Amino acid sequence: MAIMKDSGGGNDIQWCFSQVKGAVDDDVAEADIISTVEFNHSGELLATGDKGGRVVIFQQEQENKIQSHSRGEYNVYSTFQSHEPEFDYLKSLEIEEKINKIRWLPQKNAAQFLLSTNDKTIKLWKISERDKRPEGYNLKEEDGRYRDPTTVTTLRVPVFRPMDLMVEASPRRIFANAHTYHINSISINSDYETYLSADDLRINLWHLEITDRSFNIVDIKPANMEELTEVITAAEFHPNSCNTFVYSSSKGTIRLCDMRASALCDRHSKLFEEPEDPSNRSFFSEIISSISDVKFSHSGRYMMTRDYLSVKIWDLNMENRPVETYQVHEYLRSKLCSLYENDCIFDKFECCWNGSDSVVMTGSYNNFFRMFDRNTKRDITLEASRENNKPRTVLKPRKVCASGKRKKDEISVDSLDFNKKILHTAWHPKENIIAVATTNNLYIFQDKGN
Amino acid sequence: MLGKGGKRKFDEHEDGLEGKIVSPADGPSRVSYTLQRQTIFNISLMKLYNHRPLTEPSLQKTVLINNMLRRIQEELKQEGNLRPPFTPSSQPSDSLSDSYREAPPAFTHLTPPSAHPCDLGSTTPLEACLTPASLLEADDDTFCTLQAVQPAASTRLSAPALPPEKDSFSSALDEIEELCPTSTSTEAAAVAPDSSKGTPGESRIQKSEGPQEGRTDDSRLLDSLPGNFEITTSTGFLTDLTLDDILFADIDTSMYDFDPCTSASGTASKMAPVSADDLLKTLAPYSSQPVAPSQPFKMDLTELDHIMEVLVGS
Repeated sequence: MAIMKDSGGGNDIQWCFSQVKGAVDDDVAEADIISTVEFNHSGELLATGDKGGRVVIFQQEQENKIQSHSRGEYNVYSTFQSHEPEFDYLKSLEIEEKINKIRWLPQKNAAQFLLSTNDKTIKLWKISERDKRPEGYNLKEEDGRYRDPTTVTTLRVPVFRPMDLMVEASPRRIFANAHTYHINSISINSDYETYLSADDLRINLWHLEITDRSFNIVDIKPANMEELTEVITAAEFHPNSCNTFVYSSSKGTIRLCDMRASALCDRHSKLFEEPEDPSNRSFFSEIISSISDVKFSHSGRYMMTRDYLSVKIWDLNMENRPVETYQVHEYLRSKLCSLYENDCIFDKFECCWNGSDSVVMTGSYNNFFRMFDRNTKRDITLEASRENNKPRTVLKPRKVCASGKRKKDEISVDSLDFNKKILHTAWHPKENIIAVATTNNLYIFQDKGN
Repeated sequence: MLGKGGKRKFDEHEDGLEGKIVSPADGPSRVSYTLQRQTIFNISLMKLYNHRPLTEPSLQKTVLINNMLRRIQEELKQEGNLRPPFTPSSQPSDSLSDSYREAPPAFTHLTPPSAHPCDLGSTTPLEACLTPASLLEADDDTFCTLQAVQPAASTRLSAPALPPEKDSFSSALDEIEELCPTSTSTEAAAVAPDSSKGTPGESRIQKSEGPQEGRTDDSRLLDSLPGNFEITTSTGFLTDLTLDDILFADIDTSMYDFDPCTSASGTASKMAPVSADDLLKTLAPYSSQPVAPSQPFKMDLTELDHIMEVLVGS
């Protein structure tokens, strides 16, 4: 129903508030902190994971053909507890139940499947609908109690009758005990049979059907842990080539590996790294170069990386520098020492592409998020806040004043709230609908002109 | 400063300050760079040693902080080797700092000038111990007074930081600290961050009232020393660590091994493996050498390293 518009870009689109999910009060329960957001392949379903180990799936209402002025709303479809906290007795440490990533499998039948992971364990969940149930058993009453067989005098054939829709989530596979360090990424291969999981030092390859073993394809753990200076921060399979994947590091490098080259892909096929700009050198150069997210474009031609201050687009054919660089919040460069002190410099922002790979989006502080149009080179800053609560209210662009005189409506850097960070955003694969997660709320914005 | 989003008025004083720092004379810029480096060093130590989470700390964060510490230590080492007398302008070590020229301006943008260190609103109690960034942002003409103030404050800090009734290791450390008060100020401040929670910030900062007053705070501070301070200094813990290595050698204890204590000590041991000898050397002349109360910025950087190594028990 939604024809993918060749979106003119972040600025030609007029983003409107559509919905907000989550608690209203400012007192944020720790368990409600959203830790991941992901649309499925059709965009009909939107999954969120939180720090309490729960997964909430929203489903888009089928578009009402009469009311064609807006896309369907997203309503809760299923909620389930994916992971529970565990205790590692050997190290006397808790294993958090926080959901780090959710990835959807493409739909093959009536049921939906997704992978969800915490620091240590990946689970494959099946979400299925039940809207009919059999009635008319011979040996059972309707409430389930067994009838006394001697009272059965006639026979009947049970029939399916409609019932209220019930959505069930059941764990179909549990992939455990394969990671010593904390899992930061999972990525499903384009063969739809295998997937990778990456922790700080290793990447494992799994088959979706096999839970008792996995192949280790990358291992950067040094023999002497005291020599460790670099960790893996994110990994993803190429969307089209089932033998290719990339992983990013805390030193700002991205390595592309080909699984056909060897069983252990410690030697990269390509190394993407931009030389450091000497004029911007500081104590924090390494930390801000650490890549927090890497995402291939839908086409597979480009990949995008997010470091602390910028978003970079890389052409897979060019390793020595990115083809595009967008500054997310350059005004923070002079605040790095304070941000180091309060740990904000370690915040891991994610980034995402729109369906046509023409616009990229990422989050920032003060509940701001940014979009960059690759064609027009224009960018926009928007805010996710309950103040813009009316549906179809066009969001007002925001501006941060770095220094000097602050204009009206601008916000000075020192007024920014660094506790309100948008780390997770997602873009509908086909339409101009975006999901933006603040600390404990999920905002859905849509393009006004539909 | 970086907190709840309270608006503040544009401060014209800042504007003039920025102009000064960006095109400074070598002296103040060099000093401010050193101060910033020291602050970052302390913050990094604090992050590694003070963090006692229920869950495993993030390996990425630990690695990045470690890299920061190593880099600073390298720099300190190189500077220590290159310039025995401290002359800021004509030393080859300045070529190192050339690439770091952005650092002083970056540092001075930290906070608005604030007389009271507790106004910083920082999450780390360490701010109460260090010369806060706000004061370092002050005019150049007050810079010299800051230099004098900080070592005096540090002298006070170094005294209460260590409990005298502990084992001989700590008393040896104590003696070293009294030998060179400025060089130990950072470690003392770094490893006793939580002690500031026990005492009001005002009584420990900035106004140099002499070491005697520091002593009166001793008993309070000793009681409030955090447990992890014991971990860094108690040789008992380190003995257990070695034993564990032997007993559980076949189990992947890499996360356990790679905790800040062993990693920092490993790094330090690579850089200066003669710490035990140096310890003895510093102990020997103690009886004959008078205590030098304030030696602003003549801190012996090799001494700094030695103290580090002693603290982490290499």
